[in-house]
Amino acid sequence: MHSRHAIAALGLVLLIPSAACRDVSVGYGSERVAAEQQQPATVALPNKAGTYKFGVLGDFGTGSREQYELARQMASVHGRFKFEHVILVGDNLYGSERPQDFKKKFEEPYKPLLDAGVKFYASLGNHDAREQRFYKPFNMEGKLYYTFNPNPEVRFFALESTYPEPEQMKWFEDELKKSTSKWKIPFFHHPLYSSGERHGSDIRLRKVIEPMLLANNVSVVFTGHDHFYERTKPQNGITYFVVGSGGKLRQGNIDTESGITARGLDTDLAFLVAEIDGDQLTFNTISRTGAVVDSGVITRRPAK
Amino acid sequence: MGTQIARSVVLFGVLVAAGCNREVPKPPPETTKSPESAPSTERVVGPLSEADAAALATMNDRLKAYVEAHKKIEEGLPKMSKEASPEEIDKNQRAFELQVREARKDAKQGDIFGPEAQPVIKRLLASVFAGPEGKELLASILDENPVGMKLSVNMRYPDSVPISTVPPEVLQTLPRLSEDMEYRFIGRHLILLDSHAHVVADFIPDAIPG
Repeated sequence: MHSRHAIAALGLVLLIPSAACRDVSVGYGSERVAAEQQQPATVALPNKAGTYKFGVLGDFGTGSREQYELARQMASVHGRFKFEHVILVGDNLYGSERPQDFKKKFEEPYKPLLDAGVKFYASLGNHDAREQRFYKPFNMEGKLYYTFNPNPEVRFFALESTYPEPEQMKWFEDELKKSTSKWKIPFFHHPLYSSGERHGSDIRLRKVIEPMLLANNVSVVFTGHDHFYERTKPQNGITYFVVGSGGKLRQGNIDTESGITARGLDTDLAFLVAEIDGDQLTFNTISRTGAVVDSGVITRRPAK
Repeated sequence: MGTQIARSVVLFGVLVAAGCNREVPKPPPETTKSPESAPSTERVVGPLSEADAAALATMNDRLKAYVEAHKKIEEGLPKMSKEASPEEIDKNQRAFELQVREARKDAKQGDIFGPEAQPVIKRLLASVFAGPEGKELLASILDENPVGMKLSVNMRYPDSVPISTVPPEVLQTLPRLSEDMEYRFIGRHLILLDSHAHVVADFIPDAIPG
C-alpha cells in the first residue's frame, strides 16, 4: 500500500496492472480548481438525437467548494450533452437538513441544471432524513422506494438500502418481474460490490438483492456510499458502479487488491453521464477538472 | 438462512383472557406463517413459546397505541402540499416532533419494549447473530454507527448522526413495524425510531449480544 500511495501522490494510480484494457485511474488531486482552470470535458458519447441521456451523482450534499466545482462541471457537460435526468444514489445532504441546507447543498450548486429543466430522482442514504422524500425536486413523491420509466425501454428502481425490510424487497422483486423494459436499472446507496477500504461490498444486501437482479436480466446497477468512483468488472454478468464521488472524497480508499475493479478514481470527485441507444449503454465518467476518467459501452444482458 | 426462525402468529389475548376467566384458556393453534391480512404491527416471527408470544403481543399492543397516537397527531397537522418547500417540510416535522414529545412527556424506557418483551427481542437478535455470519452482520450494523451516544426516550435523533443500516436478516426476524416506525441501532442498543418525529420512542440497552 505504501508504494501505491506514493504513486497516487504523483497523480497516477494503477488499479489493475494486469488487466487487458486501460485500467488506470488518473488522479488530479483535491486542490482548489478555479473556474478558469476547469477544462470543459471532451465528452466521448454518441450524443445522438432521440436517445435517452441521464447522469448519476452520489454522496454530494456537503455544500463544500469541491461539490460546487463538480456541479459546475456537470452544468458545463450539460451544455453539450443534454441529459434529461440525474439519478442520486444517496447521501444527498450531510449534517443539518434545515431549509437553508437544501439551498446550500442542493439548489444552489445545481441551479443551472434545475433551471435547464433537468429532473433529479433521489434515493436515500444513511445520512438522509426521511423527509427528503417529500422534497419536490427529488421527485420521490413521498415514497422511500419507487420506480419510474423515462421511456418504455428504460425503467429505474430506487431502493432504500439502509432498511431492506421484507415488504420493500418483495415490492422490488415484483416490480422487476412486472417490467417489460429492456433496461431495468436499480439505484440505491449501499454497494453490492465495492473495493472500498472504508465500507466495501454490502454482502448482507447482496445476498437478498443479487438473485433478483440475475433473474430479471438487470445489466447495470448504480450505488454510492464509498466516497470514490468505481466500475466493477462484470459480476455474474452485471456491471456495478459506485458513484459516491459527488462531494466528499475519500482519497486513496480503493483497495487495489480486491480483484473486482475494472476502473476506479479515488483522487478526485466525479459524476457519470450515460446514453442508452437500443441495447447499448454508453457512459463517461467526468472528474471535477473535466477529465473523462472512464468510458465504455455496456451491452444489455439478453432477456431470459 | 439456517438460523432464521419461521414465522408464527402472536397468541393475542391469551393473557387478557386468562385474567378474566377461571378456566385455562385454550391456546390458539400454532402456524408457521403470519396471515397476509395481518396488520404490519401484528406480525411477528416464531416459533415462540406461549409466554414469549404473549410478551410480544403486549409489546404490539403498546406499539399499536403509539401508532394510533402518532396518526392522530399527524391528522391534526396541516396537510403538506405536493409542492411542499423545505420550510414547510421542516415546520411540519418539528411541529409533529413537539406534539409527539408532549403526548408522551412521561414516557420512559421500557414503555413499549416492556420488561417481558425485552428478553424475547434479545433472544431473537442473539439467534441472528449466533450464526456463522454474525461477525459480518455486526460489522455492517456498526458501520458509521454512532457508538457511545447517550440515549433517552423522547430524545431527538441527532440530525448530524447517520442512521445505522439494519441488515435484512434482522428485519426478517424482529416483529414488523408500521410505516414511520423503524428499528435502528446505536452501538449495540436497539432503538425504536419514530422517523417522522425524529424521536426515539423506546430502546433496549445492549440488545445485540456482546
